[in-house]
Amino acid sequence: MLLFENLKLALSAIRINKMRSFLTMLGMIIGISSVIAIVSLGDTMRSLIASEYENVGTNFAYSYITSPDDDYVGSESYSYDDIENIKEVFGDQITYIGTGISASAKIKNNRTMLDASLEGLAENPTVYKNLKMVYGRMFSNQDIIKERQYIIIEDKTAKKLFGNENAVGKTLRTQVGEEMMELTVTGVYENTDSALMKLMNGGKNQRATTYVPETIISSRDGNSWSIYLYPKDGIDTKDFKNRFVNYISRIKNVDVENVQYGTAQDELSTVDGMMGTLSLILGAIAAISLLVGGIGIMNIMLVSVTERTREIGIRKALGARTEDILLQFLVESAIISAAGGLIGTALGTGVVAIGGAVVGIAVVVKLKIILIAVGFSAIVGIFFGLYPASKAAKADPITALRYE
Amino acid sequence: MSEIIKISELNKIYDTGAIQVHALKNINISIEEGEYVAIMGQSGSGKSTLMNILGCLDKPTSGIYELDGIDIASQTERQLSYIRNKKIGFVFQSFNLIPRTSALKNVELPMVYAKIGGNERRQRAKELLEKVGLGDRLEHMPNEISGGQKQRIAIARALANKPAIILADEPTGNLDSASSVEIMNLFTELNNEGVTVIVVTHEDEVAEFTKRVIKFKDGQIIEDRKVVR
Repeated sequence: MLLFENLKLALSAIRINKMRSFLTMLGMIIGISSVIAIVSLGDTMRSLIASEYENVGTNFAYSYITSPDDDYVGSESYSYDDIENIKEVFGDQITYIGTGISASAKIKNNRTMLDASLEGLAENPTVYKNLKMVYGRMFSNQDIIKERQYIIIEDKTAKKLFGNENAVGKTLRTQVGEEMMELTVTGVYENTDSALMKLMNGGKNQRATTYVPETIISSRDGNSWSIYLYPKDGIDTKDFKNRFVNYISRIKNVDVENVQYGTAQDELSTVDGMMGTLSLILGAIAAISLLVGGIGIMNIMLVSVTERTREIGIRKALGARTEDILLQFLVESAIISAAGGLIGTALGTGVVAIGGAVVGIAVVVKLKIILIAVGFSAIVGIFFGLYPASKAAKADPITALRYE
Repeated sequence: MSEIIKISELNKIYDTGAIQVHALKNINISIEEGEYVAIMGQSGSGKSTLMNILGCLDKPTSGIYELDGIDIASQTERQLSYIRNKKIGFVFQSFNLIPRTSALKNVELPMVYAKIGGNERRQRAKELLEKVGLGDRLEHMPNEISGGQKQRIAIARALANKPAIILADEPTGNLDSASSVEIMNLFTELNNEGVTVIVVTHEDEVAEFTKRVIKFKDGQIIEDRKVVR
């Protein structure tokens, strides 16, 4: 019952000193909202990055060879023979192997000409690029092996080039370097770029991304600086990496250290770890403002206790016990602090949500963070309220009653 | 009539290190239930010290103080809070109402600490305010009313938990003479209903209202007489 009375008492005390209470809360509001905003921003970035890797596929791996005594990366490279050899040895353990080659080009239809990037796809292309086809079809393995002059374009590109006409089956004049090709559109895809990609490309006039069989933009006797591959699900990635690197080192006659091999999973955990650490550090810095807010509460509670010394004396004369007075002031500081925490939470999540809506990404605000923030602010309130409250509770009633 | 206050061989010495002040010297007082007592004396006579001890706000250095059969010296701080709440009704010179708190809430306060439920509390507070003639001032704040009315609220508050004694410290000290008479009449009325009232004062006019006068000088009782009317 007394707790309830104290709640009412604290609320009326806060109401009486509205401005002062609000200013005191402001410290908590700023602290909590910045902690929530920063941590949520970090969590949002992490989830975006994770979904980005999800798109590529976490099985994705890449390899390139560095030169032992030369800084120039790419002096050693993979040839198509190497890729054939890898297919022979590891073919049953991988779902895709390609060069990841791309070329910039100009694509042209009658009057319209666009800058485009041609991305090469190897056999089993859907493993690497699972395009969302809206018209036509993806390349078959035969298309790739037989070096068919095909191209897949984005729906927006199709609209620019062909208007409302069906693009599938149309021919595009494509210029890569000095070479001219006549490519037939086999399909039109819809860009399903992730929020992060959109965010990063936002505003920029992007080149049209198109896909072609990689065999038509790289000559068979050429080399590739890197290869992309997807080990099958369930393959021990560490073991696969060791065997792969040892094999390459043997056939390319280079040291094991010079065969570089990375996986999306590795990168993801590295980036995720970095983001986690970063948001933790920023959150901790923001948490310092909570400390400042807490000191503000303590300061104002000390003023309040001094101002109300006489009231404390009266209450004690009327039968208030030490713990009643202690509770009264603790409840007051906890309410100021928790109210600041709640407003700060609303503000923090609001800012993050509005920011997310503006750039068009789904934000992640974890309930856990909110609970921690509000709980922490109440604890701050109680902790910093404890000293003023105990000062009030210990007041000698005779002296307190005489206080002017 | 039973003895409600029993003080024997009571001493109070303030020890500030350098000087010792013997504020009360071997005091013996016995007050019966239903008495109407004025404790008089100049400032420094020890009457305020006695008032604090009677109110269980302070403890004697030696001697016995029994209130309603309870030996106060042996009580813990917590028990003293309980006694102040249940056995004593304070009325102060400067009213000591809680600021920015309505008359009703002020009167309810001792009952809050007595853990009496909200409805019962409000009901009794209302009755008490009506009794002191402030039935139409329930929601007024202390700064909206006159000194005499403030003191009436304080008296209503003092009565809240049906205390064994009403302890009034210079209750008319901040009031004009008309209000003073009203307040003293109120005490007389309460005393006629059987409430034990102890008034600490230095004014003879105030003491006139009571039925017994105990005079202090230099920490000692110099006179203890019944007022014959």
